[in-house]
Amino acid sequence: MSEKIGVYLCHCGTNISQTVDIAEVARFAETLPNVAVVREYKYMCSNPGQEMIKKDIRELGLDRVVVSSCSPLLHEETFRAACDDAGLNRFLFQMSNVREQCSWVHSDRKKATEKAKKLVAAAVMRVAKHEPLEVRKVPVRNETLIIGGGIAGIEAALKIAESGKKVYLVERDSTIGGHMAKFDKTFPTLDCAACILTPKMVQVADHPNVELYTYSEVEEVSGYVGNFKVKVRKRPRYVDVVKCTACGECVEVCPIEFKNEFDENMSTRKAIFRAFPQAVPNAFLIDKKGKAPCRAECPAGVHAQGYIALIAQRRYADAFDLIMSDLPLPSVCGRVCYHPCEERCERGSLDEPVAINTLKRFASDWAAENGVEPAPRKRTKEGKVAVVGGGPAGLACANELSKRGYAVTVFEANEKPGGMLRYAIPEYRLPASVLDRDIERLEKLGIEIRTSSPVDDPEALLREGYGGVFLALGAQKSSSMGIEGEDKEGVMGMLEFLRAAKEKKLTCIGWKVAVVGGGNSAMDAARTAVRLGAESVQVLYRRSRAEMPAHDWEVEEAEREGVLFKFLVSPVAVLGDGKAEKVKCVRMRLGEPDESGRRRPEPIEGSEFTLDADLIVMAIGQQTDIAGGMEKLKRSKWGTIEADPVTLETNLKGVFAGGDAVTGAATVVEAFAAGKRAAESLDRYLSGKDLREGRDKEIPVAPSPSTEGVKKEPRVREPVIPSIDRVGGFREITGTIAEEDAVREALRCLRCGGCSECMECVKKCEPEAIIHDQLEETVEIEVGTIIVATGYRLFDSSRIPQYGYGRFPDVYNGLEFERLCHAGGPTGGKILTSKGEKPEAIAILHCVGSRDENYLDYCSRVCCMYSLKFAHLAKEKTGAKVYNFYIDIRAFGKGYEEFYKRLLNEDIYFIRGKASEVTAVPEYPEEEGKLVVVCEDTLLGINRRVPVDMVILSAGMEPAEGADELTRMLSLSCTYGGFFMEKHPKLAPVDTPTDGIFLAGACQGPKDIPDAVSQGAAAAAGALSLMDKGVFVLEPVTADRVEELCSGCKVCIANCPYSAIEFDAEKNVSVVVKELCKGCGTCVASCPSGAAFQENFADDQIVNEIEGILLAAKGA
Amino acid sequence: MQNGEFEPKLVGFLCRWCSYTGADFAGISRLQYPPNLVPIRVMCSGRVDPTFVVKALAEGADGVLIAGCHPGDCHYQEGNFRAFRRYPLLLKMLEQFGIEPERVRLEWISAAEGEKFARVVSELTETVRALGPLDWKGRTAPREDGVQQGKREVANV
Repeated sequence: MSEKIGVYLCHCGTNISQTVDIAEVARFAETLPNVAVVREYKYMCSNPGQEMIKKDIRELGLDRVVVSSCSPLLHEETFRAACDDAGLNRFLFQMSNVREQCSWVHSDRKKATEKAKKLVAAAVMRVAKHEPLEVRKVPVRNETLIIGGGIAGIEAALKIAESGKKVYLVERDSTIGGHMAKFDKTFPTLDCAACILTPKMVQVADHPNVELYTYSEVEEVSGYVGNFKVKVRKRPRYVDVVKCTACGECVEVCPIEFKNEFDENMSTRKAIFRAFPQAVPNAFLIDKKGKAPCRAECPAGVHAQGYIALIAQRRYADAFDLIMSDLPLPSVCGRVCYHPCEERCERGSLDEPVAINTLKRFASDWAAENGVEPAPRKRTKEGKVAVVGGGPAGLACANELSKRGYAVTVFEANEKPGGMLRYAIPEYRLPASVLDRDIERLEKLGIEIRTSSPVDDPEALLREGYGGVFLALGAQKSSSMGIEGEDKEGVMGMLEFLRAAKEKKLTCIGWKVAVVGGGNSAMDAARTAVRLGAESVQVLYRRSRAEMPAHDWEVEEAEREGVLFKFLVSPVAVLGDGKAEKVKCVRMRLGEPDESGRRRPEPIEGSEFTLDADLIVMAIGQQTDIAGGMEKLKRSKWGTIEADPVTLETNLKGVFAGGDAVTGAATVVEAFAAGKRAAESLDRYLSGKDLREGRDKEIPVAPSPSTEGVKKEPRVREPVIPSIDRVGGFREITGTIAEEDAVREALRCLRCGGCSECMECVKKCEPEAIIHDQLEETVEIEVGTIIVATGYRLFDSSRIPQYGYGRFPDVYNGLEFERLCHAGGPTGGKILTSKGEKPEAIAILHCVGSRDENYLDYCSRVCCMYSLKFAHLAKEKTGAKVYNFYIDIRAFGKGYEEFYKRLLNEDIYFIRGKASEVTAVPEYPEEEGKLVVVCEDTLLGINRRVPVDMVILSAGMEPAEGADELTRMLSLSCTYGGFFMEKHPKLAPVDTPTDGIFLAGACQGPKDIPDAVSQGAAAAAGALSLMDKGVFVLEPVTADRVEELCSGCKVCIANCPYSAIEFDAEKNVSVVVKELCKGCGTCVASCPSGAAFQENFADDQIVNEIEGILLAAKGA
Repeated sequence: MQNGEFEPKLVGFLCRWCSYTGADFAGISRLQYPPNLVPIRVMCSGRVDPTFVVKALAEGADGVLIAGCHPGDCHYQEGNFRAFRRYPLLLKMLEQFGIEPERVRLEWISAAEGEKFARVVSELTETVRALGPLDWKGRTAPREDGVQQGKREVANV
């Protein structure tokens, strides 16, 4: 079949014809194969031009059409529609771009004509291979996503919502309103920004068709026009927007202050705050950077930053209350905890970690001294819980459950509660009086403790009416060495030794003591032996000092107190006649590392030796010693109780277990943690909730805070009694720090978490709106159209060092001056210098950053006008002399020139010239103590120095932060300065090259409020027209396969960016899923067997195009 | 070549989203560049089959430009990375044919980079002008020692 091709050459007025010899191209086109007719016309896109094509199709029976004119991106649709009209399939058309890519870019008429010929030949050759195609129509959803809640976004949202369609308005900040909310007055009318903006903000938030996502960001966009799938990340506000009544009670008790970003950091705000009183949604939020590392590191999750912040404010009772809500025995913990929190403390990277544990001890001891009791607890829950074991794990569980409103009974087998705290921790570290005090407090809070009440059968407790049981039995048996002679008199387990010492049952008659082991309890035993008056104390440890599990400071203290250490030594037998007299030992060497990563000690043959010892303490570990009656409990091979690591459930229903009895001997704070975990499980169990759901899903740890400008300061030291005074008795070694020291230490905290989680706001909030453990949430929405209205950010004036921004306190940028003028700003609307004085002279520098090839090439369009507004406001409010330093005054909008004229009559100075410098170095007496603006007055042709009290930098506009990411997410392009590129600078100013995505406001280029609002409305109209039509026509450019040619190699499958190709194993061919294919053609290029093809971009079409170009080139 | 000056014949494969729009933008901005390159619009630089390049060279082109969106900006997520991966292999093959790799250039040109488009076309034109005509037939003709090189009809798509 031979094609009949019509070629139409457009002059485009003189746009094409002045550079391209159209007649010459026409003559050439006539020689091309299959060309039936060639015509030229002034404007092909005009009605007569289109009619010419239609007529030829009908009358000459053309079956292919080529138009040589402008870019297909502009008029392809026009001519396709003309073909349609005349009954020719719209895809039997090809356009060659001789304007944008030929006549406009070349000036040599001959060469341009040659290129035009090539372009036409390519199109003629290509179109011969075109096939009739069907368009694909996709439905367009009736929802719009608007990104950015400034005035442009608000306007667009209202327009669409009013039409009855749904709008999702996503705003990154905590409030909508954008920059306009910060403004005092608006030019040129000088109406109050808040008065015209806030009603719109409320309107949009209250609109039933608008769903507002503030403090949220668009994370991912997939799909295409009509059917976008969007993931929105909702950052946690930690305050329930619905419940919050914005009463502000929380703000008063919050101990944390930050700079107020809304006031451009010129005032402060609390960690719980709202941007400004008219914020929408009008609810507070908490500035939480994440979980403070100290709390994250604490096994029991104690709110360390919280009590530190309260201590810094001298609110010791509140601090103590917070500690009590986390820990059952605060004074105890403040003494014995090994404080992993301090190792993680960020302050440590600057100088030394904050003395967190010391501060906890201070607050707890302060409370005890001042008779402060924690808040009384109410029984709010029905259930009753039994805790077996009155050690740290049991008491922590009891404390937590009583806090949550349960009745708790603790069953303790010994005469006194406290477990290992009472019997194993030596008096010099933890006086019994302190432990008693802490436990008594728990009893006062309503926890019942039954001593001398061993429990044999936990299920019996359930039968007695307890809703649940927590077993915190501890590990009460010392491990033995298993060596010859260890049953001799004089060989003791560590626990037995420490308990006997505590109960004063040991009287020393000059022992030679050998302590076997290298852990913390070995140090306790050794140091206790010293205090009991032992003649000598030696620690025998089978590895070297580096491998010792005991904390360094414990080892150092022991050494200071006279304990001797023998490393790489292991006892092999206890010698003596019925009574221990000597220990036979062998020397060790370190071999290969074992599972713990420490090098395994190996005995050295023939290195045996003996040493004198009549008291040998085995401090090599503890074991669970579970009494009979518990035999129903499942145990591990080490004899510990088996419990679920998350829920602490045992094999018996309603019975939970934790602490040393489950994990083997561990630290006090780990026992507290187990108790709290058990309490959470029991609470869920008793209230019929899932034991597992959402457990251990926690807010992420806060990033390292900035230490910029923080002065180094040493950490507070606890008072310590000298070692010489220690060995005689069991006096407590360390004391409590003084109040002033505590406050000073607390102020060293860097407040990593932002909000300190002191929980004071929770206490104050009557509607119970605060959710401290709120997590980030990702919402998925589906929309048909998207409007991008992400606005701008102000140019950073400190990039121009000669203007002194950031160096001189009285040099302000535009937004800062807006806040100074604003009645809600840091000065209550008074224009005052940093010294609090009324300025006598003010300079306003135009074009800061803008129209400057070192910074922003472009004009920011708003600065002239806002500078004039500032000049007016400054004059009105202060009566000062006001100087404007300008390059040109651009007063281009409606009423703008009039405003400028008005200013000219307001006794304001206009100096034409760009300021070269702002300096504080005086050259003349009248410049003393002033800022001097140096400038060339280009009208007078002289250099001027103008002394002023205040300088305002009218900085330009740059694209908002994060615009880059959005560019990628939405496949947008950017023009100058990074502003989003519209589809056409004149004819499609709010469309983008991506169908279904529109632009509004300053994200597209610098813009004032009236223009931003207009674009908001225009973008809304664009989105609405798409959605009202309900369908969108897609280009038929999808890929497909010729099944017979496909070899099933699957190369295309790996190449497809959309996973749109599936493999049909039965036929051994790949199959394109049309709905998923977006038409990039990458698979076609990768197909080695030529089976893949792309509609309208087929291989033969492109090859013909190549041939056309080169054929014409040969002819030249 | 009438005046003795060699005018390179160049073919450009431009992705429809970034580089073709960028070329249009150069036009709208009336930037001037040499008329040697003739553009072909494809949906994505990933669509550019290496055989298209070979075909163009075999049919008389002296150089080829492939232009796509910047990495990360691809309208089709990663089509341009496919082009990027094929490019070195193509160059290697051309080198084995004895063709200077400088004749084939891959560039990332965004819709806003009209200036870059104009610059790249100018540079490529000058590079190829300096290299002289490609003379595909001559280079792929049988050698005197009887060994044939490049005899295969590589470009018969």
